[in-house]
Amino acid sequence: MSYLRGIAAIYWKDVLLEFRTRQSIGTMLVFCLTIVVIFNFVFEPGSEAVREVAPGILWSSFAFAGILGINRSFSFEIDRGGLQGLLLCPVERSTIYFAKVLGNLTLMLLVELVTLPIFAILYNLPTQINLPGLALALVLGTLGFAAVGSLLSALSANTRAREILLPVLLFPVSVPVLIAMVKSTGPLLAGRPFGEVAGWLRLLLGFDLLFLAISSIMFPYVVEE
Amino acid sequence: MSKLGFLFTAYLLIWIVLAGYLLSLFTRQRRIDRELLNLQEQLKRRS
Amino acid sequence: MRNAEARTRIFDGALWAVTSLAIAAALYAVFLYAPTERTMGDVQRIFYFHVASAWVAFLAFFVVFLASVLYLATRNLQHDLIAASSAEIGVLFTTLVLITGPLWAKPVWNTYWTWDPRLTTTLVLWLIYIAYLMLRAFAGEEEKTARFAAVFGIIGFLDVPIVYFSIRLWRTLHPKPVIGGSEGSGLHPTMLITLLVSLIAFALLYATLLRLRVRLERARREVRRARLALNA
Repeated sequence: MSYLRGIAAIYWKDVLLEFRTRQSIGTMLVFCLTIVVIFNFVFEPGSEAVREVAPGILWSSFAFAGILGINRSFSFEIDRGGLQGLLLCPVERSTIYFAKVLGNLTLMLLVELVTLPIFAILYNLPTQINLPGLALALVLGTLGFAAVGSLLSALSANTRAREILLPVLLFPVSVPVLIAMVKSTGPLLAGRPFGEVAGWLRLLLGFDLLFLAISSIMFPYVVEE
Repeated sequence: MSKLGFLFTAYLLIWIVLAGYLLSLFTRQRRIDRELLNLQEQLKRRS
Repeated sequence: MRNAEARTRIFDGALWAVTSLAIAAALYAVFLYAPTERTMGDVQRIFYFHVASAWVAFLAFFVVFLASVLYLATRNLQHDLIAASSAEIGVLFTTLVLITGPLWAKPVWNTYWTWDPRLTTTLVLWLIYIAYLMLRAFAGEEEKTARFAAVFGIIGFLDVPIVYFSIRLWRTLHPKPVIGGSEGSGLHPTMLITLLVSLIAFALLYATLLRLRVRLERARREVRRARLALNA
């Protein structure tokens, strides 16, 4: 029980901090929308090809914008010695990891929530989107990405290269999650029934649990000192 | 390119890459050895 | 002391000799001993070194994984020495796989590249270990480099089967013109022997390179320590 309370406390600290400074969320949102607009130049106006690659565009923007927030989740702790403080807390080390995963998940989901309707309008997506299914796919996919991302962010933030290193480390490792996310989002965006992507969603859930388990075991090794 | 051309290009490239790597290992080793000697001399001189 | 030095020199010489012999034997087997494949013709001879590189690359990354686990368990920097060296050589052999692959695919499948599970996984594998080498280059102090690299070495290796699995699903759920993988099934005995000889030759080459690379890494760390001592 105190384990969960520890997670909640650290998570709440990050939420408050973000709420007061609004540093990450704004940048992520604007960046995400910019990518959506830039991808638009790839297509001929009115081309039907857009529908086929829509999930790919959507997830590329989410992932690139997500990298910004995930990067900051540890680098800002290091700048002001906050990590030392966190490590002194009388909680297990993995608590910090889970709190950061939750924080990154929240940030990315907020960005997705705002981007998705704008995306649907800009790209003329069909109106019969399977919303409950899509919501589940977004949560599961983002969780997997944040699970690996939070661990690797703790790694890269502690190196000399800082922010530059995270994308290089994170993208190849998160390939399975990215594939499953794109594959399950595609049919749902086209309004297909939930059953068609149930396999991919179950797989995504499996990846999430696997990545959460491995990362939470490895996390204490990253922050020991 | 003929089929045999692909075969020989492949084998040629394998040896070029391997030779390049070996060469880089030797040059790196030589440079580091020289630097180590240099540093050890400096340390000796200081003490 | 001098005795030990002489012994390593003899061992090094022997290793070089055996490796060269094995490579010569493999070349002989590939070009003269192995029969010409019926449908693909002589190009199929790329297969032997292509597959040997792939297996040796995988062996190298497995060594990285083992050394990483051992390092985190024992904190002995000797293990990290091996992990760093093996990762670089693994990337070298993966590069060979990625060079020979398209050169074999073009005359046989009439395309340099296809996003088939094995090819794609190899490419992702290559990217993961290049990232590993970059992490090492940027991490900072020796102990931190070793620790971070070990964490990433473990995650990267565990990720590979997951990547392969997900890509295979992605491909089978999305069928494309079937591209025949020709390896494995029904390999002619002389071909199998040639493959084994190539495999042994490349494994020996891996051992030789690893020894050289470990020596380089050790010298590099001595330099680093000497520099720290000088600045202290």
